[in-house]
Amino acid sequence: MPESTDPATPLLEVDDLKVSFATRDGVVRAVDGLSLSVGRQEVVGIVGESGSGKSVSMYSLLGLVRDANVTISGRVRFEGRDILGLPDEDLRVIRGRDVAMIFQDPMTALTPVYNVGWQIVEQIRAHEDVTKAQARARAVELLGEVGIPDPARRVDLYPHEFSGGMRQRVVIAMALSCHPRLLIADEPTTALDVTTQAQILELIKKLQATYGSSVVLITHDMGVISEMADRVVVMYAGRPVEVGDRREVIRQPRHPYTWGLLGAVPRVESKRNRLVTIPGTAVSPLNLPVGCAFAPRCAHRFEACDQRPDLHGQGAHLDACWLSDEQKVQIRARVAATGVTT
Amino acid sequence: MTMFIIRRFTSAVLVMFAISVLTFLIFFATPGVDPAARIAGRSATPQIVAQVKHEFGLDRALPIRYALMMDHLFIKRDLASYVNIGDPVVPQITAAAPVTISLVLGAAVIWLIVGVLGGVIAAANRGKFVDPLIMFLGIAAVSIPAYWLGEVVNLITQGGLHSSIFRWVPSSGYVAPTQSLTQWALHLLFPWLTLAALYSGIYARVLRAELVNALNEDYVRTARAKGLSERRILMRHALRCSLVSIVSLFGLDFGALIGGAALLTEVVFGLPGVGQLTYNALQNLDLPVIMGTVLYGAFFIVLANAVVDVLYGFLDPRVRVA
Amino acid sequence: MTDDVLLRATDVVKNFTMRSRGSGPRVVVQAVAGVSLEARRGETLGIVGESGCGKSTLARCLVQLTPVTSGHVEFNGVEITGLSRRRLRPHRREMQLVFQDPYSSLNPRRKVGDIVAEPLRISHFGDAEHTRARVAELLSTVGLDPASVNRYPHEFSGGQRQRIGIARALALNPSLVVADEPVSALDVSVQAQVLNLMADLQRELSLTYLFIAHDLGVVRHVSDRVGVMYLGEIVEMGDAETLYERPLHPYTEALLSVVPELDDGTHPPRDRIVLTGDVPNPSHKPPGCPFHPRCPVAQAKCAVEKPTLVELSPGRSVACHFPRHDS
Repeated sequence: MPESTDPATPLLEVDDLKVSFATRDGVVRAVDGLSLSVGRQEVVGIVGESGSGKSVSMYSLLGLVRDANVTISGRVRFEGRDILGLPDEDLRVIRGRDVAMIFQDPMTALTPVYNVGWQIVEQIRAHEDVTKAQARARAVELLGEVGIPDPARRVDLYPHEFSGGMRQRVVIAMALSCHPRLLIADEPTTALDVTTQAQILELIKKLQATYGSSVVLITHDMGVISEMADRVVVMYAGRPVEVGDRREVIRQPRHPYTWGLLGAVPRVESKRNRLVTIPGTAVSPLNLPVGCAFAPRCAHRFEACDQRPDLHGQGAHLDACWLSDEQKVQIRARVAATGVTT
Repeated sequence: MTMFIIRRFTSAVLVMFAISVLTFLIFFATPGVDPAARIAGRSATPQIVAQVKHEFGLDRALPIRYALMMDHLFIKRDLASYVNIGDPVVPQITAAAPVTISLVLGAAVIWLIVGVLGGVIAAANRGKFVDPLIMFLGIAAVSIPAYWLGEVVNLITQGGLHSSIFRWVPSSGYVAPTQSLTQWALHLLFPWLTLAALYSGIYARVLRAELVNALNEDYVRTARAKGLSERRILMRHALRCSLVSIVSLFGLDFGALIGGAALLTEVVFGLPGVGQLTYNALQNLDLPVIMGTVLYGAFFIVLANAVVDVLYGFLDPRVRVA
Repeated sequence: MTDDVLLRATDVVKNFTMRSRGSGPRVVVQAVAGVSLEARRGETLGIVGESGCGKSTLARCLVQLTPVTSGHVEFNGVEITGLSRRRLRPHRREMQLVFQDPYSSLNPRRKVGDIVAEPLRISHFGDAEHTRARVAELLSTVGLDPASVNRYPHEFSGGQRQRIGIARALALNPSLVVADEPVSALDVSVQAQVLNLMADLQRELSLTYLFIAHDLGVVRHVSDRVGVMYLGEIVEMGDAETLYERPLHPYTEALLSVVPELDDGTHPPRDRIVLTGDVPNPSHKPPGCPFHPRCPVAQAKCAVEKPTLVELSPGRSVACHFPRHDS
């Protein structure tokens, strides 16, 4: 039972989430203090490159991290109820029914030996007390809703008989079968062609409006964030470096990493002479710096950066950078004009 | 699908033909060996050797010799051993076959149950104590040669403890099920367990490895995200997808064993099956019998391969389209 | 004949014969269905398209890694289609490939130095001393520490591995580099580094690039001219700027309209044309124009008559009966 159905309470609240793995080479801190909240009917985008911890953070919310050497700390509340640290049998009720998750590669997401109808029915019957016939009828309806032609026939087909885009639709249909309040989508379109990606993103938007669910969209593509998200969380080295309203973060980014990320993307709309590059390579999660994680690669670092910055700022737009507001505005203008981060 | 089955079995027939030719060539066309003398046996008189030569057309062209051999073996079925003079080969094999089949069927049931259970329990408890324990038992079972295990079992059941705990164990040998079902089972009990031990070990280890792999696949992650219980995921998703390799392994093992690969178990327990027949023939260099058992064994292996390939199509829907 | 055209392809066709369902009738799949193009010296020709459009097969056909079914490829004015391996070798040195997957395009069991030196050894570049020097030079050109020669590929990141692949491609001073999705497997910031590197190398070494990718932004950034492929055919070709600003083919228009856009206030939002249906399979090519089943402006003629690539204005060609933005 949700402790709070009050619309003002955020649907999901994550507080200082830390996920680390004990490996032979040392402790890998995959997520190092993530805090975010997701409101009702909101789309929150989490953007970052590989190693940023964006996927691991969401997996750990639902208890999907099965590594025996993992340590998870922090606080996660879903509809007001603490879910981090719940035993698996309680989490299972939430997984698939209240919070659904879809993953990146549709080609391997479904069990190959059962037809898609069977798999959708399995999810429905795991959470609701309905007959097989009822569940199957609902499966056919769902397939139609996600745009699969001739759903009454296709419900008996096997996953390999669908194309990549169609498979992702099946996965979405299955995820939404129990009307979850929150959908977590981990790079749902990265493995798809551009035209298919457009269809899937449109579908997610449409379903979000129909069912009124919230979405956490994990991606590396700023363009996707720009089209889909209401708010953005930019992650680097397991830490959030900038958070805010989508428009503000994209139009007035405040963190050097965000500048680099936005500047590095070659755009369809206009041609830049040279792409902005972030010097160096991604930080190793085995050796996170004591201070700001981005400092080793940052052209604007100074003494204060030896101390780890927390998210701060006015209003809803926060960033984790010690530079003063004026400095940020200046540098940002310079970067935009010349296309160079230094 | 039907086209696939037809083509598969046609190629199986062609393979059998090729094996029969190869076997024939090995036995009858190896340079430096006089096949007539071989067939006739060690203690043959020159008349018998001449008779053999004529009967098998050894003075005629190779293809004719092959045709004659196959004729004797399959059509006339009067290919006779010259070691046990006049004893026809084919009836010996057909008499021995039910013994081998009894042995293999019973052992197969046991090893499948034990192996699958072992693999599933180990995978479900991976990382905990039970897992390496089962794997260790598995490898121990695989490493122990069947004949040694058999002899030790015999030693215990027929020797030392025969008068006390194992009083009920009958002496080695075989009793047909038509004669007495209980006796049949009792005589085969320890051979079953001995033969099954080796295979249970292999199957438990293979299944565990397949299951652990499957549990790391994306579709298992999706199943977890759906809120299914670990047990259901293991049994309905991971196991079902791992079955294919177990089934194909089983098909091949079963085929080979029916064909006489349980040789040493049969000999140790005194079961007059095809394996023991082959063993004795090898010892006496009884060429016609050896030829017969080799072809018999090859037949089952080829058949098993073909059946397994077809089963693949049923178990893995993706294969049907390819 | 000194022509500024380095590579010329005329009506290249590549067919694959496959059996459907393992025992059914033979099906001929036209992966490349009559492609003609020219790559001029010093330019970057970008080929963009979605999965199944045949762009990778086209790349392999152009460098003769795969024999063409029909058509001609001329390199430096010399016909190279159908040449024997031996006669192809001198031309092979001049055209090199960079592949997509930095994780599988380098032999994991060989040291980096050996990987980069291999083309030099095969073509008898010189003695060991010279080869070593050249390898060191190549590695620093691509921004890697020359001391990397003794390390193995798995010790490097994806972006670094791609640099090694580029160093290997440059070993023999090729004039043409065919890059098949060279940055798709890389993170955004690493991608930027590699693209900048490739641009620098092009200037320094006067390279000509044939750049194949599915990412429209990347293709725009690197290309001087762009060709758009669909189901094995080039449906539009032209100067990159004009093609992106004013696409003529309905497919190009739809493709460009649905690339997720960064709303940074620098330009008005586009109208999105979301196509219906799946990206098609080359084994089921529709009659007439290959795009007509999904085309938002298709007419009756399009299902019957196949449009050919026609030059509408200098340097701008399109294969469509009803091109957009008729100027």
